[in-house]
Amino acid sequence: MSLGLEWKKIKRTGFLPGFLAGGIVAAAVPVLNMAFRSERYLGLGESPVKILLDANWQMMAMLNLLLWVLGGCILYHTEYADNAIQRMCTLPLKESRLFFGKFALLGVMCAAVLAIEAVGIGFCACYWFGMTEEAGTALLGCFGYALVLSLPTGAAALLIASLCKNMWISLGIGVICVFTATMLPTGNFGWALFPFALPFQTVTGASEAAILIIAAVAESGALTAAELVILRVRRSFT
Amino acid sequence: MSFLSLVGIEFQKIRRSKILLLLLAAVIILWLPSILNVQMNFQMQAEGIAPEYNFFIQGFMGMTWFMFPGSMVVATVLLTQTERSNHGILKMLALPVSTCKLCLAKFAVLLALAAVQVLMTVGMYCLSAAIVTRTQNYPFLLPLPFAFKEAGLLFLSALPMLAVYWLLAVWIQTPVFSIGIGLALIVPSVLMINTRFWFLYPFSYPFFVTVAEYGRLAANLTTAQVEWIPWLPVAFCITILCLVIACLRFGQAERR
Repeated sequence: MSLGLEWKKIKRTGFLPGFLAGGIVAAAVPVLNMAFRSERYLGLGESPVKILLDANWQMMAMLNLLLWVLGGCILYHTEYADNAIQRMCTLPLKESRLFFGKFALLGVMCAAVLAIEAVGIGFCACYWFGMTEEAGTALLGCFGYALVLSLPTGAAALLIASLCKNMWISLGIGVICVFTATMLPTGNFGWALFPFALPFQTVTGASEAAILIIAAVAESGALTAAELVILRVRRSFT
Repeated sequence: MSFLSLVGIEFQKIRRSKILLLLLAAVIILWLPSILNVQMNFQMQAEGIAPEYNFFIQGFMGMTWFMFPGSMVVATVLLTQTERSNHGILKMLALPVSTCKLCLAKFAVLLALAAVQVLMTVGMYCLSAAIVTRTQNYPFLLPLPFAFKEAGLLFLSALPMLAVYWLLAVWIQTPVFSIGIGLALIVPSVLMINTRFWFLYPFSYPFFVTVAEYGRLAANLTTAQVEWIPWLPVAFCITILCLVIACLRFGQAERR
């Protein structure tokens, strides 16, 4: 019921078309890149999905990150803008239901955006590289992995947004976090675990990927737990 | 009401917004990695740039690439949302003040916030350069007139970008689209500065100016340099056009 309610709330916020447009823009990145300079990538001798992700993923992940941060801000802005949250708090529901509903919605939208991007990469792999069966499975694996790594970012964005009444503060903190993620040194495994840096990672090795997946799930859990604690503390002081 | 008093009122409105804190936090995060990775400045023989200049320019490139435009998008959100919550804009539009003036007063506040962040960057540069001078026993602090000249140039080159952001914030009522478009337009600026048509893309101006300076400072590196002739007229037209449309559109949605 929670997810359905959240779905209704976003109706006139432009959330849905915004996310779809963001997904299409990100999916256009590899297509345009291949259309303009395909000679640079053809004949590299690696699997097409890997070549395409290496060439385009940084920019696509950046767009995704900004989309997750913006999504988190908007989902809570609808509550705070006209004090709707006060009505939500008087309902015989736990306040955390709101967070879980929004998190589920953001997760569904992340999956939709990543699916659009997967179609973009898949199209490039088909058209320019002559995709095989294996590439299809690789694509599915990569984007499933990207979805899991996006969850902590979504949870962190929602956590920040749920704490700040004013949208510019939550957006400002989100933008600063994204900026921090871009400033972190690449190649250092420890820094990659920062929730806003995780979506930049692509599959490198099986063991490393497994650790990152476990870390992503653990971080999402920890951020959710933090939200529950903060809600309880805030409730007892206001 | 004079324009200056209008600007003063706009400043009062954002007094408790904590925006300066956000701008400062971004600037601190910008310079921290530079302080921690200061050794890298001594390994730039391939580019042929002196360590102190490299320290300066790398920080400013980090700023102009994402932090500065991103912060300015946040500032436009602040300026529009403070009015829209509790319908403050309706009361403002009922005043016998020209809407054009109100719009420009808000834009002046945006310019002031941009200037504050640029100054903060210079201030934090001085602080971090002083720190690494102590830790590395090497004079990292450049002459201040040079730092201020670069910062001033950066600010001036950001004016068209700020005008476009202001237009987006005023024209597009749905925050998802105005913020989303603003943030998404930053991302391709890395690609745009490498094309011949960079001067058509206002979001890449500050970054282009900084990268051009990098090319001048590094002996073995050639980057595209500023060509005033197509750039200045184009930038001027973009700024004026955006401001005129913003003035015309200001408050239109509420007046319907």
